[in-house]
Amino acid sequence: MKKLAVLALAGLALASVTLTFSMAPDVNPQSLCNRNHVECREYVFSLDDPWYKVMVLLTACDIAFGKCMLGL
Amino acid sequence: MTGTDRAAGVGVGAGAAAMAFLAAVTLTLGAAAGPAGTEQAAVARLKAVEIPRPSGEADEAVLGRPLALALDENNLFVADAQDCAVKVFSRQGRFLRAFGRKGKGPGELSFPSGVAVAGRTVIVADKLNSRIQAFDREGSPAGAFPTPFLPDRVYALADDVILVTANPGGKRKGEPLLHIFDAAGRQRWEGLAASSSGDPVYDAFRNMILVCPAGGGEFQVVHRSGDRTALRFASTGALLGRIVVDGRYRSRPLDLPFKGRKKRLLGFCWAAAFDRGLLYLSAPAPVDGKDLGPGREISVIDGKGRLLATIDLGRAVHRFIVEGDRIFAVDDGGELRIFEVVR
Repeated sequence: MKKLAVLALAGLALASVTLTFSMAPDVNPQSLCNRNHVECREYVFSLDDPWYKVMVLLTACDIAFGKCMLGL
Repeated sequence: MTGTDRAAGVGVGAGAAAMAFLAAVTLTLGAAAGPAGTEQAAVARLKAVEIPRPSGEADEAVLGRPLALALDENNLFVADAQDCAVKVFSRQGRFLRAFGRKGKGPGELSFPSGVAVAGRTVIVADKLNSRIQAFDREGSPAGAFPTPFLPDRVYALADDVILVTANPGGKRKGEPLLHIFDAAGRQRWEGLAASSSGDPVYDAFRNMILVCPAGGGEFQVVHRSGDRTALRFASTGALLGRIVVDGRYRSRPLDLPFKGRKKRLLGFCWAAAFDRGLLYLSAPAPVDGKDLGPGREISVIDGKGRLLATIDLGRAVHRFIVEGDRIFAVDDGGELRIFEVVR
């Protein structure tokens, strides 16, 4: 269980970095963040991975969405 | 017979085989139940043997991310999201051709996630272009209509009735998971509201659904987690009934730490198909100790929810369709596999 938790956290950290959304300056940031968030989730669903991994990746999408909305 | 019937798995050629399969299951169960005919008959244990596919095919035949399968009388269509194409195979698994390429124009696709056959038309859920696109059987574009959401799977309930599923975005309550359009793209109905608990990740699991066209325009909906039920809908969207699946069907609980505290999910179904009155469900299987992934066993459920038989495929599959005693599946490695059920 501990190993799984460590792996999940590592995956979360990695994914939150790699899934940080890009933002073009001439586009409404909120709509772009929303669009990217939806696409991020769709991508995760399409992987059809085991559910623990899906949970980690969906959480990463949400973190990336938050970062995008905050302009980080 | 319409193309829709065939897409739903009611082909002419396999009809006799299917009836034989159904009869065999029934006979096996009858024998196992004994003369008294107990309430819970024994479950037949069947095996499936893989039919070898032609080897040495072109690179184009390799599936990148196959997300959906559909059958017509001769061919198997596979929506490949990674290659932005629909790949066409013979029923023996020989690669024939592919159509579609990445883009936004007519005949171009962006992350196709669903495919269905309606008459002479192949319809595709062109997800990231937010549209349903039609092709003729040779792959020439034959029209499209936009959807106000990202379409996930697409099903032809009749030649003029198209069912499209959507994954909820998780930002507002009650988003409809099912949408019915006519062939011109006019929305006729939407429904099956997404459940919302305020935890978007937990809700994402609770709202994962599988749809199986059930012939005559009807369709069945199974939630991948949570309920042990299958919902039956008419092509109008009217709810016709609810089947509670036999307690002997092996669903599996999974505790996940949503929002810091663990919540229990009932892993009910990884993939599902419907053929000739029978629902085929594959339950999630344990992966790496405590996770759940695709299973290698398919359970056969009748119209009253009773577990009739299990079919051991010998390998885990992500999605499949059934026609008679043939199972067309995508395995854990994204390979197309064709199985025949043996008795």
